Amino acid sequence: MIVPAATADTDKDSGIKLHTSPRSPEQIAAFYEARGFPNTAIEALTQTCFVTVSFHNRSGDVVWLELSRWRFVDEHGREVKRRNRAYWNALWEKLGVPMANRATFGWTQLPEVRDLRPSEPVGGNVALLPPSGRFRLEARFATGAHKQGKEIIVILDDLSCPGREIK
Amino acid sequence: MIVRDLLLSLLLCVTSAQADILPGGLIKLDGRPAPALKLADLDGKTTDLALLRGQWVMVHFWASWCGPCRRELPAIAAMAQTKPAALALVMVNTAETDDEVFAFLASVAPTLSTLLDIDGQVTERWQPRGLPSTFFVDPRGRLRYLALGGRPWDSGPYRRFLVGLAPEKRK
Repeated sequence: MIVPAATADTDKDSGIKLHTSPRSPEQIAAFYEARGFPNTAIEALTQTCFVTVSFHNRSGDVVWLELSRWRFVDEHGREVKRRNRAYWNALWEKLGVPMANRATFGWTQLPEVRDLRPSEPVGGNVALLPPSGRFRLEARFATGAHKQGKEIIVILDDLSCPGREIK
Repeated sequence: MIVRDLLLSLLLCVTSAQADILPGGLIKLDGRPAPALKLADLDGKTTDLALLRGQWVMVHFWASWCGPCRRELPAIAAMAQTKPAALALVMVNTAETDDEVFAFLASVAPTLSTLLDIDGQVTERWQPRGLPSTFFVDPRGRLRYLALGGRPWDSGPYRRFLVGLAPEKRK
């Protein structure tokens, strides 16, 4: 099942471009299986909704990527919970996932915090507990080296996790 | 030893002045010592960054699954053919197997050679901001510049930057 990707291009106002593309369990399984991840890890990965994010800071100032300031909200206004790096690190430890797989997984995830310099791109997945319906992303970005600049707010509506039941 | 240090200082002054105007996407670093890097390539030949003291080194981290890395590799391959001889290029593949790397490089950039960070732990120590990432290590083994994401290394501003780091000696 393919769900259209969503793009918020705010170049005219703030100089940032944010693109999201939710992945199906099949896509996630194919990617990590091809890199030798053990079955126990694949099972956990396919029970998660991964949203691939690409972001480009085209402004002339620092833009702060801080996932703690991103909110995923379902149709009923409830928060869609995120699985952060600490969750995955603990799970990989428990499952005995090899170091190479842990490293690859880590580099495929969006950083928790990053001071994005002018012209700097960043990309990676955000892991969510799969919501059963559509959801939205409200992402807030501080700007300026010391976060002294104007805050940027990006809202992406009508997101969904491919392969999950849509109500 | 003192003479060598003086010569290195002079070389750093000259090259840093020439590299003052940075091409897009390059940032200056604070000059902290580069983390250790000693890895083998596909043929089992080991490269130790510590043994490359005395010259600038371009350390490039990449992986075959990373889209921006794949897009950047042709530019690196082209740059590698024309880069100053005094600038060493050290490529590090992050956490892939030798079979994966061999099959990928053979089809995309057969002239490039890479070191293999099989378990990804060397990359972790370097803490790149993402993949791809390119660090520039000065002749004293200190981190001086970082390229943010993939860059067109074979284009004018980047070529001039690389030549500025390691100018060819006049005969």
